[in-house]
Amino acid sequence: MAELTDASVPKFAAGCRWGGPTEAPVVLFPEGAIRVEGTGRVILELCDGHFSLAEIVQKLETQFILAPKGKISADVRTFLEQLHAKRIVDY
Amino acid sequence: MSQCSNPLALIAEVTHRCPLHCVYCSNPLELTSRKEELATEDWLRVFGEAAALGVLHLHLTGGEPLARADLTEMIAGARQSRLYTNLITSGIGLSRERLAQLVAAGLDHIQLSFQGSNEVHANWIAGARAHAHKIDLAAWIRLHRIAFTVNLVVHRQNIEHLEGTIAALEALHPDRMEIAHAQYYGWALQNRSALLPTRAQLDHAVAVVATAEERLRGKVRIDMVVPDYHARYPKACMGGWGRQSMLIDPSGRALPCHAAGVIPHMRFDNVRERALDWIWRRSEAFQRFRGEDWMPEPCRSCDRRKEDFGGCRCQAFLLTGDASATDPVCELAPLHHLIENAVRENALRDDGASSSGQQACEASFHVLQEKMASFWSYRSDPKE
Repeated sequence: MAELTDASVPKFAAGCRWGGPTEAPVVLFPEGAIRVEGTGRVILELCDGHFSLAEIVQKLETQFILAPKGKISADVRTFLEQLHAKRIVDY
Repeated sequence: MSQCSNPLALIAEVTHRCPLHCVYCSNPLELTSRKEELATEDWLRVFGEAAALGVLHLHLTGGEPLARADLTEMIAGARQSRLYTNLITSGIGLSRERLAQLVAAGLDHIQLSFQGSNEVHANWIAGARAHAHKIDLAAWIRLHRIAFTVNLVVHRQNIEHLEGTIAALEALHPDRMEIAHAQYYGWALQNRSALLPTRAQLDHAVAVVATAEERLRGKVRIDMVVPDYHARYPKACMGGWGRQSMLIDPSGRALPCHAAGVIPHMRFDNVRERALDWIWRRSEAFQRFRGEDWMPEPCRSCDRRKEDFGGCRCQAFLLTGDASATDPVCELAPLHHLIENAVRENALRDDGASSSGQQACEASFHVLQEKMASFWSYRSDPKE
């Protein structure tokens, strides 16, 4: 499996995308679907192939200014690594 | 009426026409003809109704779905209804250009079937010269950003080559391999004696797949389906009757699964006459084995009923003559000896006849069919 670094540009893997009802979108992939809500959804929406991990973390830190230092970075990494293992996110 | 959730998947058997004649085909023996097939606009309406009912995934299958000239239109319509579209195909009838059109229309995932990795042997199982094209097609698929799965149906006649086949399929760079043992319905049941592997063959195959999984971890995901005849408990067929999926056959009949048409005295409503939502919630066929009220003992009081939903109703009917019986695959089933006998008898079978048939592969299909008649029946074509 690929290593996630600050320069990595995470994006949906081939055959994965948002779908389902517009009012309650889910992530669709070949074997199924997962509901991603809250911060997870904010992160995934930034995984459109335009931003590096460092940029995504920076954007979130501006949005969630009360989060303890380093926490956002660690959470984003864990989240993306989990989705990578499921073959939903590439980087 | 039992409580029901929403279906998550719609399986659209858009045609029964197919250029291949695979001996393990799960289509019914009684195939739907071209003139009975639903029109494009019917399918598009059904896709819209399915999405409104909560369906997320559309599986376009057949027959060979590419035999429908309007496949691109169907994919575009499904995508417009926000469905995830998966094409399950032999690849025959898919040129580089047509593939690009399907992808542009919104295709998300393609599952390309393989019969083996040796050309002559694979063509012998398919009853058609198909293998070489599939190899070309795999390379074209990888030029697009869609998910790519290779499907291999495993059975007694190719199980010994599994290790080499996995290596050959790996070279096509799929995201995923689906290695599914033949399930005994339709043509596969007709050919069961030629297809059912022995226990020793299965154990070896399971070990081969485990080794491949380890080697390919992080590169290719392998999903394996083992033959339920060798299992202790039945499979959770379709995730439960009328619980997750619905299948529409080429003529528009809505069924809870691929094989349900074999169950006698069952009325299947047609999407030409009824809305999908009504069929899912109210039709007799979808309610017949939904929930637990229909269950006999030992299922009714068994803890496993919430996991396997009593197994497969079609298999119960095909093997015992009673669709409400406990799936005979289950070691607790009163009629489990039917499975044990089939496995035992098959272990003693002599497969000698197969080599002459493989040599006949270069001949016309009719010659091949005749040559193999005492060994297995190739899937036929639907009537015109």
